[in-house]
Formats: sequence, structure tokens, C-alpha cells
Amino acid sequence: MTQAVASSGLSELQFAELVDALSADPGGQGELIELLQESHPLYDQRGTAAIVRMRAWILIALARVGLTDGALLFVLEELDTGRDAYLVAAAARALRTYPAPTAAFAPFVMRAIANTRYHDEPVAFDHYGEYSTSATGTTAVQDLLATLAWLGPHARGAVAEIEALRTNQGGIPRKLLPEVDRVIAAIEPGARPGELIGDDFNTVDCCTLPAGLGRLSWPRSARRRCDTIESTVFEDHDGRVIRFDDFFRGQPSIVVFFYTRCDNPQKCSLTVAKLGRVQKMLADRGLAERIRTAAITYDPAFDVPDRLRGYGQSRGMRMDTGHRALRAVDGMAALKSHFALGVNFIESLVNRHRVEVYLLDAGGGLAAAFERIHWDEQEVVNRAAELLTEQGRAPSPRMPVAPASVPARRGGVSTIFGTFASLGVAFFPKCPVCWAAYTSVLGVTALERLPFSPWLQPVLGMLMIVNILTVWMRSRATGRMSGRNLVVLGAVAIVMSNTNANVDHLGAAGVALTLAGSLLSTLGGPGAVGPPRYQANS
Amino acid sequence: MSKKRSKGVAKRAKSTRSRTVKISSRASVAVATSAKRPVKERLAAMRKTTQEICADDDKLQAMLRVLRDTAEPTAVRLAALQAIQAASFSVVQFESCRPDYLAALRAVATDADAEIRQRVLGILAREKDGFAQQRLLEGLQDPNKALVPPEKALQLLSYDIHADAYPVARRILSNPPSPAARREALRLLAADASSRPVFEQILRDKKEAPEMRQLSASALQALAPQSLQTHARAILLDQSEPDALRATSLTALTQFGDHADVSKDEKLMKGVSSLKSAGSSSNLKRGAQRFLAKYGR
Repeated sequence: MTQAVASSGLSELQFAELVDALSADPGGQGELIELLQESHPLYDQRGTAAIVRMRAWILIALARVGLTDGALLFVLEELDTGRDAYLVAAAARALRTYPAPTAAFAPFVMRAIANTRYHDEPVAFDHYGEYSTSATGTTAVQDLLATLAWLGPHARGAVAEIEALRTNQGGIPRKLLPEVDRVIAAIEPGARPGELIGDDFNTVDCCTLPAGLGRLSWPRSARRRCDTIESTVFEDHDGRVIRFDDFFRGQPSIVVFFYTRCDNPQKCSLTVAKLGRVQKMLADRGLAERIRTAAITYDPAFDVPDRLRGYGQSRGMRMDTGHRALRAVDGMAALKSHFALGVNFIESLVNRHRVEVYLLDAGGGLAAAFERIHWDEQEVVNRAAELLTEQGRAPSPRMPVAPASVPARRGGVSTIFGTFASLGVAFFPKCPVCWAAYTSVLGVTALERLPFSPWLQPVLGMLMIVNILTVWMRSRATGRMSGRNLVVLGAVAIVMSNTNANVDHLGAAGVALTLAGSLLSTLGGPGAVGPPRYQANS
Repeated sequence: MSKKRSKGVAKRAKSTRSRTVKISSRASVAVATSAKRPVKERLAAMRKTTQEICADDDKLQAMLRVLRDTAEPTAVRLAALQAIQAASFSVVQFESCRPDYLAALRAVATDADAEIRQRVLGILAREKDGFAQQRLLEGLQDPNKALVPPEKALQLLSYDIHADAYPVARRILSNPPSPAARREALRLLAADASSRPVFEQILRDKKEAPEMRQLSASALQALAPQSLQTHARAILLDQSEPDALRATSLTALTQFGDHADVSKDEKLMKGVSSLKSAGSSSNLKRGAQRFLAKYGR
């Protein structure tokens, strides 16, 4: 329902009425949560300030009906990375309606205080889009302190930080000190300010969030393949052009999304800086050449190569052929759809997005995602290394058999070997007469007579099958089918020439087809960089 | 010995001076906010309040009352605004005052006094305040609701690239209420990648004012540097173009031109060389010398 209504172009007031109606409907919470998806058409072509008003109103509506696990992630995301005081205040209010306070919420609330305190503002939520002009209302930081008080003893792990808010240097405003005291009293009833310096955080029901919050991963059988975007063309930080399948197939990859005009330091800037740390971890573990990384911009029209390079360099990102900052020259819509990106736009500019990091397997399929809440660099590296192990352990039609570090060379060696096997089969003497002919030729050339070895034929046949399988798997990994088709045709021709003496000439054709197919398969490997097919902004 | 003594005297003098300033600034808020004092005296006191405003809540509230009070003289209200704004530069010290300050600014944004309105909306717009953006956009869509002239509204909205201002800026660009509004609309669109064709068209249109064409050139430099190189070259080699624009084009090619492409471009080199001797403006001549020096000609 909401999609249909939203696509008809709601005014903000109509939107507020819709949200009110959904919050009054006992079954409406699911739709309210759906409205919080950044990619919802409702947010298309709206300014950021309008989106802040709209999302805050949804959070307030969720607070009215009581926050559930389904909506919790959105609330924690806002506390974790939100920068707009109005929206953070709404999230704090919503969190207080969650059925059970837990210690895991405390770090989110403390981060929100740190993110918001120097641009705090008065807030009011009595009416949709209300901006407080009163000196007596509450502020986002006050709402966050109230949320800490609601957490009570569950916020004990944050006691040291809360106590620090009372200090003279870097402490919270004096007028809020009574509220800090109330928080401390709520955490430890009977304790006086300054007494709570111990930290028995571990004894509390620490840190358990509902399962899967912010982290998604797909088993191999359920992975989304990249067929729909394999031909998407990117330009990298040096202006080099590369297709999706050229870069992302053949090795596992870590992909983050960002844009250089993002004004929230907790999102894009931090994400790219963290990718730089991930790259260092990969290098320390000797995986930098085996796992690729990419930072893809949401704003390809503005983020030209110079900007990508400058942004990445200033945040410590390694940039070379295996680690790139990319912009989609075409196919941004397909990319958005494939990754189900949590982003929306006003004109070509991003108006709202979430934090999102993806792990791709060696076939370019989506293997894992880290969304909304800040991700841990070590966890991402470990998961990527698991993909590498998975690749080495059990090659599948989606995964190239070659180790990621030297995909083209290993694939090439096995293909060339198989090709020689096909040649052997084609020219293997099929009968004593053929053998006599071969030996007479050898005799003419003064070579010694070779013993008749019929056991060689099945060996060469097996090797030819290996060649076909190798080329087949390679074609699945690279997306190029022409080599595979030629090799299969060649094998059929060779087999026919071996079984039917009347079509002996087919053997030569089969050899030619096998050679051509194997060459095609070897030369079109992953990592090949195409010629510049696109000039930036030309 | 005498050096030591003079050091001691200087230290005492400094200490006395700072005490005097401290004492006078402590009293300054009381003087500045007292309606019984002459305006001149209050204005002088306002200038000394900056360090005191956030010292306690009473002083802040007293200053904010002056700002909000429409019965106060405009000069005093503006001085109060200026003093609080100066205090806000100390972000950490101002932390406790900020929410009340923003609430007061929003209240005054619709004030009857045009100058106060404009100043306050300017401060809020720089904070990317949603309330201010909403009022400014409403004013551009419906002139009856306008709190500031359209060119000012566009200028203030351009502080936030994420404000929903591009559609209205495009409308004003094609049907401007004034040349100033058209110029500001163009300036605002400089962050909009989809407006590239508009900038290319204006840059190549000889009927456009040089200022508009120069604005378009700088917008293209940000949005589509390659495109600017092409147009800059064409403008530079076109002798019917005004000198000011040719000088801008030459600067763009000198500073941002693709070194490999430009150094191979003999026609361009010849054209720039001719600028040194022909009856070009001094700007153009200097620019030509810089360009040729960069490319070793």
C-alpha cells in the first residue's frame, strides 16, 4: 500500500497523515518499518531536511505503538551514526519504548551523545515537522540522557563515560548536570555522583542484541549472482575503465559505498577510512593480492576520478589495480537494484543513505553484507578470508578453480595441458594400419620405431575431459562462453573422428576448434583491463 | 637588573589590565541588557559581552530576551545578535547555550525587521537548519511568504547542497524576477551535476553577460573539467570573445589543462603566443606568458 501511495507523490502533510493512520492500525507497524527503508520511493526527490522530518515522524509513531525488534535496527543506526539532532532525539524516544532495556544499548546512546552534543538543538514532536522556538523545551542531548536513565543498571558499562560528562574539562553543560546526576542515580540507586567508578559491566546481561542485527550473510546456495550487472562499466580513480566482471570475478572482494559530498563524518568519510584499515589488515595477513577491495560512489556524475583519488588518498585508502575507488559510468540503477542499496536521491545527489559494506565471492555473488550499524574491520577481513578458504576448498561452477592470486596463469596452464591432450587424442593411431603408417613416417625421418601403446588413448581422453571441465568452469567465472563452446565442439569433432573412419578429416577441425577455444578462454581472464571506452565528461 | 625590573612592571601592568577588562566585561551584560541605559552606552557594552554570555544561564537569557524583544531598538538587537554570534565561535564553551540560541533565532527569523530577519536566516542557513530552509523555499515558491528577496534566499539555500532547491533554482533561471536572482540561481546550480548542459550553453552564448559566463566556467570546472577544457580552448582562440573571458579560459587551461593534450596542441600554442604581441589586455598578456612558461615555449 505504501509503495503505491508514495509513488503518487505525497505532500509532507499527507505523509504525516499516512504515518498517523498506520500507527493507529494494530497491523500497521510492518508498513511503518517498510517506510524507513532509505530506498523507499517516498524519499525520492526530497531534500535532506524533509527526509529528517519524515523519518523522525515515523520513529515517533513507532514510539507510540512500542518499538519492536523489526524496527530496532533503524533506531540503533540513528544513534550510532546520526548527526541530525532532531532525528537522534526521535530515535532516543523510540528506544525508550523497547520492551526490555539491555546493556547493549548503552554504547549506542553514548555514541549519540558524543556525535550530537556540539550541534544540539531544541526539539518538539507535538506536531509533524515542528521546530522548537521555545527556550523551555528539551534537546536531543536531554532526550539521550533520559534514555540512559531508562536503561538504569543496564548502562553500568558506560559509567566511566557518564562520570566523565561531569568533569570540568570537556564535560557536559552545567545546566544538564542535574540530569547527569539523575542518570547516575538510576544506574546505581543509592550511589552518589563520583562513587560509580568501578565497572562490573560483565556481570550485567551485556551486549546481546537481537540476532543478525546489522549483519547479513548468505550461504553459497542462496547467493545473489551478478549476471544482471556483470557488464556494468566503471571508471576508477585513475580514469581506467573496467567492467564489473573483470574486476569482481576471480577473487573475493570487499565493497563499500560512499560519496565525496557526504556531510556526515560518521558515514562515508569513516567508511573509506575503515576500508583503508581493512586493506592494511589484508596486507599484514598476506591477503592483499588475493582479496580485492573497492569503494564505489553513489554519486558518479560528480565524483570524477580526481575526486575519487583525492578522497581515498586523504583517508589512507590504498589504490592500485586490485584496490580501487570506482564510479559507475553506466548502470548505476542496475547496481542500486542488485545490491538493494539503502540510498535515495534528489536529482543526482544523494539525500539519504545507510552505511553498507558487502563481501562478494569469487564469482561476484553477494556473500555477506554489513548494514547500518558500524562494522568491525577485523570481522570483515575474517569473513573475506573465509571466502578465500571456501574458494580453495570447494570449487563450484560459480567459483573459478584457480587460486585468486594468479587466476589467469593457473587457468591457462591447465587449459594448455588439456589442449595437448586433445591433440593427442585426435592424432592417436586407431588401428595397426594407422600405426604402421606412423612408424613408416618415423622411419623416413630416421626415428626409432615406437612401441604400440593402446593404453595411451583412454589417458588422453581423460585429459581432454579435464580440459573441457577446466574451460567450462573458467567460462562460468569470467562470463565468457565462446571459448567453452568452441572447446566442446572441438571435443565432439575429435570423438567423432576417432569413432568413424569416414569422417577422419573432422579430427583436424576438432583440434583447431579446441586450440581456438582454449586460447580464448585463457586470454579473456579476470583482471583484464579494457581499453578506455569512455572519456570522463566528454 | 633593570631588565628584571621592567619585566616585573610589565607583568603587573598586564595583570591590572586584564583585571580591568574582566571587571568591565562582567558588568557589561547588565548594562547591555538594561532598557534604561542610553542606546550608545548599551552598544558599547554589547561589544564586551562575548566572553560573559555563556558564563551563566541568566546572562544568556537576558541577551536572548533583547534579541527577541521587538520593542528594543533594532541597533541594540543587532548588537546582541552579533555578540552572541561571536560567542558561538567557541564551540565547546558555547555547547550549553546553543539550543536556546537556535530557538531564539528561529523565533526571530520571521521578525518584522527585514535586516534582523535576513541576518538571522543567514546564521540558521549556515547551520543547515531545516526550519530556515523550509521558510526560504516557501518564500521562493510563493512571493507573498518571502522573508528575504529571492536572490538572498537562493544564496542562503546554497549553503546546503542537500536542500531541495534545485527545481526552484531552475525555474528562476528560466524566468527570473531580477538579474540578481538569475545570477544566484546559476550559482546555486553549480553543485548540480545534471545542470551541466545549462552551464555549457551559457558559457558559449555570446549574448550572456561576462559574469554569467564566468560563473558557468567555474561551475563546469567543478562538474565537468574535461568539458571546460574544450570550451575554454574554443573561447581562447576566438578573437571576438571578450578579453576577460579569454583570460579566464587561459587561466583554466594553464592551471587545470591536461598537460599531455595541451602540450601537443600546436594551434593552441600559436594562438596563445599571438596574445603576447597583439593588442590584448594586460591580464591576457600576463596569462599568456604564464601559460607559455609552463609549457616551455
